[in-house]
Amino acid sequence: MRKPDVKVVILGDMNVGKTSLLHRYTERRFKDTISTVGGAFFLKQWGPYNISIWDTAGREQFHGLGSMYCRGASAVILTYDVTNWQSLSELEQRFLSLTDTAHPDCIYAIVGNKADLTDACAHLVEMDDGHMSEDIQDTPHHPASTTSTSSVLLHKQVDRMDALALYWRILRYKGLEENASPAAERMCFETSAKTGYNVDFLFETLFEMVLPSILKKRNEGDASTVDLEHSTETKRTKAGCCR
Amino acid sequence: MDLDVQENGKAEEVRSSEASFVTCAETECGEFGSSLTNHISSVETVSQEGVSAELCGLEGSAEIPGNASPATVQETAASHLESAGGADGHPESVSDSASVEDAPDDSGEFVVTVLARGKLEEQGVGVKGSSSPLAEAAAQGVPSSHRDEDVTSESWRQHRKHVFVLSEAGKPIYSRYGSEEALSSTMGVMMALVSFVQSGDNIIRSVYSDEHRVVFMQQGPLVLVSVSTSRQSEQQLRSELLYVYNQIVSMLTQASITRIFEHKKNYDLRRLLAGSEKILDGLLDLVDSDPSFLLSAVHCLPLSSSLRDSLSQILQKAITPNLVFSILIAKNQLLTIVQEKMVIDDARLDPADLHLLLNLIGASSAFQAGEIWTPICLPSFNPDCYFYAYISYLDPPDCTVCLLLLSTDKEAFYAVAECKRKIEEAMQAQNALSAIAKAQSYSVSQVGVSDLRHFMYKPFDVPDNHRQLTQFTSPEMEAPYSTGDERMRLLDLYRDMHSRIHSPSRPLKLIYHVAERETLLAWVTSKFELYTCFSPLVTKVCAINAITKLLRWIKKEEDRLFIRYPPKYSTTPNPSKSSRKGGSDQQDTTDNGYPS
Ligand SMILES: Nc1nc2c(ncn2[C@@H]2O[C@H](COP(=O)(O)OP(=O)(O)OP(=O)(O)O)[C@@H](O)[C@H]2O)c(=O)[nH]1
Ligand SMILES: [Mg+2]
Repeated sequence: MRKPDVKVVILGDMNVGKTSLLHRYTERRFKDTISTVGGAFFLKQWGPYNISIWDTAGREQFHGLGSMYCRGASAVILTYDVTNWQSLSELEQRFLSLTDTAHPDCIYAIVGNKADLTDACAHLVEMDDGHMSEDIQDTPHHPASTTSTSSVLLHKQVDRMDALALYWRILRYKGLEENASPAAERMCFETSAKTGYNVDFLFETLFEMVLPSILKKRNEGDASTVDLEHSTETKRTKAGCCR
Repeated sequence: MDLDVQENGKAEEVRSSEASFVTCAETECGEFGSSLTNHISSVETVSQEGVSAELCGLEGSAEIPGNASPATVQETAASHLESAGGADGHPESVSDSASVEDAPDDSGEFVVTVLARGKLEEQGVGVKGSSSPLAEAAAQGVPSSHRDEDVTSESWRQHRKHVFVLSEAGKPIYSRYGSEEALSSTMGVMMALVSFVQSGDNIIRSVYSDEHRVVFMQQGPLVLVSVSTSRQSEQQLRSELLYVYNQIVSMLTQASITRIFEHKKNYDLRRLLAGSEKILDGLLDLVDSDPSFLLSAVHCLPLSSSLRDSLSQILQKAITPNLVFSILIAKNQLLTIVQEKMVIDDARLDPADLHLLLNLIGASSAFQAGEIWTPICLPSFNPDCYFYAYISYLDPPDCTVCLLLLSTDKEAFYAVAECKRKIEEAMQAQNALSAIAKAQSYSVSQVGVSDLRHFMYKPFDVPDNHRQLTQFTSPEMEAPYSTGDERMRLLDLYRDMHSRIHSPSRPLKLIYHVAERETLLAWVTSKFELYTCFSPLVTKVCAINAITKLLRWIKKEEDRLFIRYPPKYSTTPNPSKSSRKGGSDQQDTTDNGYPS
């Protein structure tokens, strides 16, 4: 049986596109979703490693389970919808505290999804159903408004700066040094599950970044891998030491 | 009294016009295992063409509970407002309804008009008029096509069955068609009506008009309303509303609903239910199309008893502390169910709870590759506590065989997921999946009775543990019931028979109903409940013979059609509270995170 090496958790308000992002990444498609109940667990083979991914429900109804999903996580993807400012502020108000149970070395990514609705360049890719053209996928550049496409773009309610600012507040909340942590510029993404824009880039970047944790765990021997889910509660010292 | 019954009966018959009826009310509730011929021959046959109908065996009135004067169902042109004082579940009594009758007659008309005809006052509030489309779209989730519906349109009004849920304060919580906020003033009117009648110490139960039947039900702080043109009985509509209520409870628990509204009377419950609309939509679609709900019984997939036993054994071996139910489902039908001995003990899994679970699985199956872990409450089992459900498909990418494991421990996901691996391995070793894939529902032709088109059989008498799970069996619906419309028509006929059999004022034991395009026979005894559908040309003698044969066939196939002995296992010598220790040492006290 495959044992997960690390755990990645996707958090964020309902309807921001968490399930769609994961689905785009694992199945390379964008399709209709149903609002997630509870949480859904996936085991993703990434090279020689097994990465477990929790796609959680954003509905308030399931809030109580959040810390269970986050327990011992090595990476947390905090997802918002770029067309919805409220979804960004929910990250801080409702979801951040759930990550108290995450691993002390956990890394945090802030992801603004549905970029296709506000940015033309994230919109361009849409014609391909399934896989997009390689050049676009491999160059995750800043969405800057290029020539506008035929469809009407929505107002972008959340700027990249807002996301960066949130990232810094998270570091402070966690009591982490800014210069000892991954740079905000690297950890804030804008994606589109619909077009695939930046989606692979997001997951691959995070997996690369948790690789050290994977190797460390493997070195510590199988025992800790098995016990992944139960091991970290006691070591949780950094979290919550400042407000 | 007799006269009342008769009049009532006649009124009913006239309403259901085109067909002729011969109905027979049994007097005593004793054994009816004897020959069906006796019963049928004791019925005077009055089978004229046209509208004529006759009621026989009026001794049946002896069965009516003493205080129960028949519900006032005079289907006159005018709307009629019924109400019953206080005590829930008691048949409406004439005197009670009389006390309200003079006053709110207008209101009755009014609501029916509001509901059935236009709602002019809605026009300003339509979906399109909403202020901030962006924020709205994000907050409400993706509007499904039903949610988008224009509530002022004719097509909206024409839906066969509307269902509304609102809070006692009149706040909209759910509407089957159209968005709740577009309907908020309609819901307000309903609530005003409910509280108006409540203030007089009465509870509104139902409102009738020519085309519509409006049924109200209050459950704790929630009010549920069904507006239907389907001609179903009030009782049936009420039990459907109860399913809706229970599905909401299954997501939130009754305790937290109560707590929330105690805390804040005008709380907007949609905050917690947002995203669950599709689950309720799906439930209502199932309620309309799946007779399991009507019969309050579970439909099993026919399976050789040896295969079913070996599946049960596989489940029985893959256990972990705090696991209480292991359920295997294929094609939305039950394969087998295994339960913990101690926790369940005398208690049993109610078919209603299983229906809610099946509906949840259906509604959450969009992303089938993952393993789902979600809290779920089983309202009939215990409306105030959560189980944690592990849901995973065993045959991706087809996703027809589903494993459902229920634990009482929120933290048990990884242990329970491990059970799934064991089950998967064992099934692989026995090649069980391909055996399951071959299993399918049966054709009525296998019974070998000509003229028999379809039936539903719900036994009460299968030995031993069978009582723990009420089941029924039924063949596929085949031609002429293969189209959606025809299927629904047959189900409607069954529903009509069912409501006569279970009429609170005049329950019947046997109905022989000659309709235009088919002949139906419904029969309830202490051992079973049976609904059969024959071609219209069948004679009564033929039907009787057919049923005798059918019962014999079912007896012969019993082991294949039903789960005979639901097995049990024991996860710990002493489960419940103390076993939590075994599960996890880091007790997570974040209950279920409701605002309290
Ligand atoms: N235009 C656009 N729509 C998207 C995108 N991602 C998701 N959506 C849509 O947003 C809706 C919600 O997507 P989900 O993936 O189900 O959202 P979620 O975050 O998983 O929601 P919960 O499971 O309820 O927490 C769906 O209708 C998607 O089609 C995107 O990148 N662009
Ligand atoms: Mg989701």
